[in-house]
Amino acid sequence: MTDYYISKKRLLTLFVTAIFLFFVIFCRLFYIQVFWGQDLQQKAMDQWTRDLPLTAMRGNIVDTNGNVLANSVTAYGIYIRPQSVTDANRVAEVLSSVLGLDYQSVYDKATKRGVSEVTVKKQVSYELAQTVRGYDLEGVYFAEESQRNYVYGDFLSQVLGFVSYDNNGQTGVESYYDKYLKGINGVLLTETDLTGKELPEGQLQYIPSVDGLEVVLTIDYVIQTVVEDVLDLIMYQHSATGARCIVMDVTTGEILAMASKPSVDLNNLPRDDVETLMKYSKNTLVTDVYEPGSTFKVLTAAACLEEYSKGNANAFSATHVFTNNSRSRIIDGSKINCWSTHANGKHSNQTLSDALNNSCNPIFTDIALSLGKDVMYDYLVAFGYGKVTGVDFQGEQAGLLVPESVVTRGDLARIGFGQTIAVTALQLCNATAAAVNGGLLMQPYLVKEIRDSNTGLTVKRFTPTVINRAISEDTSSQIAQMLEGVVTNGSGKQAYIEGYRVGGKTGTAQKFIDGSLAVGKYVSSFVGFFPADSPKYLALVIVDEPVGQSYGSIVAAPYAKTIFQQIINYKNLEPSL
Amino acid sequence: MRGKVDKILLFSVAALVVIGLVFVYSASFYTAELSYGNRYFFLIKQLTGAIVGAVALTVMCFVKVDLLKRFYIVGVIVSVVLLALVFVPGIGVENYGAKRWIGFGSFSFQPSEIAKFAFVLFSACHLSGRLKGRFTSYIPTIVVGGVFCLLIIAEPNMSVTMCMGGVMMSMLFVGGMKGKHFAAMIVPCVALVPVLILMEPYRLLRLLAFLDPWASPKDEGYQLIQSLYALGSGGFFGVGLFNSRQKYRFLPFAESDFIFSVIGEETGVFGCLIVMTLFCIVIWRGVRIAVNARDRFRCYLASGITAVIAIQTMINFAVVTGSIPPTGLPLPFISYGGTSLVVFMTAIGVLLALSRENNCQGNVLKGVQIEI
Repeated sequence: MTDYYISKKRLLTLFVTAIFLFFVIFCRLFYIQVFWGQDLQQKAMDQWTRDLPLTAMRGNIVDTNGNVLANSVTAYGIYIRPQSVTDANRVAEVLSSVLGLDYQSVYDKATKRGVSEVTVKKQVSYELAQTVRGYDLEGVYFAEESQRNYVYGDFLSQVLGFVSYDNNGQTGVESYYDKYLKGINGVLLTETDLTGKELPEGQLQYIPSVDGLEVVLTIDYVIQTVVEDVLDLIMYQHSATGARCIVMDVTTGEILAMASKPSVDLNNLPRDDVETLMKYSKNTLVTDVYEPGSTFKVLTAAACLEEYSKGNANAFSATHVFTNNSRSRIIDGSKINCWSTHANGKHSNQTLSDALNNSCNPIFTDIALSLGKDVMYDYLVAFGYGKVTGVDFQGEQAGLLVPESVVTRGDLARIGFGQTIAVTALQLCNATAAAVNGGLLMQPYLVKEIRDSNTGLTVKRFTPTVINRAISEDTSSQIAQMLEGVVTNGSGKQAYIEGYRVGGKTGTAQKFIDGSLAVGKYVSSFVGFFPADSPKYLALVIVDEPVGQSYGSIVAAPYAKTIFQQIINYKNLEPSL
Repeated sequence: MRGKVDKILLFSVAALVVIGLVFVYSASFYTAELSYGNRYFFLIKQLTGAIVGAVALTVMCFVKVDLLKRFYIVGVIVSVVLLALVFVPGIGVENYGAKRWIGFGSFSFQPSEIAKFAFVLFSACHLSGRLKGRFTSYIPTIVVGGVFCLLIIAEPNMSVTMCMGGVMMSMLFVGGMKGKHFAAMIVPCVALVPVLILMEPYRLLRLLAFLDPWASPKDEGYQLIQSLYALGSGGFFGVGLFNSRQKYRFLPFAESDFIFSVIGEETGVFGCLIVMTLFCIVIWRGVRIAVNARDRFRCYLASGITAVIAIQTMINFAVVTGSIPPTGLPLPFISYGGTSLVVFMTAIGVLLALSRENNCQGNVLKGVQIEI
């Protein structure tokens, strides 16, 4: 009886203990569900959904007339969610054969543990993706992507630039205007189970992507085509290592054509060979400097006439006759020669016009030294040397200009005819444009408009920008006239077009490689414009290391003529003479 | 001679079984569809268990309780044989690195389910015999319980061992074992703990992983994190019946060991409280039947059955809420598992049979009725 009584007492003790433990567990439960709940649910949500990125269509790049140069086509990214794969062999077989991948590597991806999603291949064309879809493989997923397509391939390559595999602008306009072009990616959220399998009644959340904007270039497809063809011809006819050209509207600073040869097919980039890729995709007209040589004399002439008009006694008038007919000048013990021997009365008693026609180095040495370094540097700055032009392109160089504080008389004498100075082709174009367009230094630009191609509305417009006035209108028209003379009577004869007033200046400079003169290697150039009475089009043609003939007058000028002739035909311009 | 069954107990158990059927379906239809192409796969098996269980329960209601005494040795022998059979290749079935099942064709069950109640029957019989208050009197119970524990831990199955150990302690406690004897048993066990820790320190680390499951979210912490996500998503009233997100293969064993998490997710604190209350009622009625039992054998038998239910339920709740290290133990009456359901319902049948005896008028006159 006593034992039994103890048993019942103990039974009650156990019962009370059990109820107490239940209560403790309930408190814990209440804490988890009510106080901790929100936090836990937040964390849980992350694992309940999968998101497939919806890539925004990258905006088109079009020329000034709306011709599409770069567009985007729909492509597909193919992914595997290994945990949803039921037949890894089949997945690997199909994907490797259709997409041209290695069987083993696909198989490894399909059987990979500890990851929810593996990328098989990106940028797969619609047709191939459709083929894969046809096999209806478990665990294989598709995501829309946009693939960049360059309509003309190897065309305007260095200016357009290219994008990375994931559609980020890497170089050129693609990079500079990336924020407008790329748009905003969207996302497709799907409710899935642990393995990423979509739930039968799962909710979908669709955040659509916003397509990128259209970038309208100042480049004119027709002129660019002419330029590219002409450069190819130069490369062929003169066995040059390179040929480059800029065509500009001098009244606005718009760049109408810009090309460098050799170039690269943007649809087929040598992405694995970084060195080659960089070499051919670099826009050397903006990012590299060269010694301009005689084309630079335009600046010295302009400085001289402008200073004379301002009453500077050290300057010379247009009618001044230079009587020092010697072929050479000795400056601080160093001798500067003219390219010509001055024999038989050549280059004697020249006016400034004559000196430009003859491209006579000593006269420009005389002018530069007479004006002095302060004045010369004022004009270098006024024409935009020593600083970037501000063109809408990445990696622009400012050129190499000897600092004014350390420049010697010898340096200054050489700068007078375009040596001891390194400029970008764009700087030279822009400075020459300022010399002939009425005296205004403009900011060159490649993009004139950003617009929404869906609505056709302009989002942003870029208008001509004046940087500063370099010289007066009078001086400018005098210079234009003199340069017209160079083409009519002087070294630029090869650019002469009957009935049209073409002006220009040739240049031939010896190449410096690693700081020393490279014998027999020249950079031959010609900068020309028309019509001379009201300049509009300006072209700079640069030929690198032509074999055989090396003078700009022979290697470059005739091609500028071709370009102008084609522009005349294209624009139906009337002869003005 | 016999009165009415304890209706409160009967209805509470029936309610738990029905709740179990609903949530087994809810927690399993997605995985059932994927694995077997039939969303009712688990529900049908559970329903079969419930029907067999109901028959067994009814039969037990009418069986004379004294008849059970005859099987107390047989039960132990059968249990030991079955527990040993799990180690025999071809009969034992290995799952998740443990040999816990015996399989015959498509049918399989855990012998430990039966062993728990065989032990209860054995100890109830033995402890109700003539005992002289000496420690030696309790040795047979301790030996049988110890052998069962050893066989189960060898599977290995930590949670059932804990459950078995708990039942053994409860039986000894109710059976009147003296405090100093408990001390003599428990102190060496406690002393063994630091030795085991020193021998295999990583086990302790694994055991303690439940304190911060986010330290190893892909390994030890995974199950618990998923269980907490489910419970946490439930809030006060849950996300609605059948709307659990965690059952989409995030929560492992959603239809069995972690079914309470799904209940918590779909019905919130509210639903959990109902289920816990039903279990408390079952335990209360079990204790009441034990206290009112006409002899010590009946008292111990009812106590043992109630202890199995209470301990297993508590361990399951504690695991699901991250209060103890995670182990796999089904929730009685609710978790998916035919054998478990049949065995528990059979045991309830025995409790009901005892309640019928208690409700017989003659019993009251004996003056041992205590109202609780």
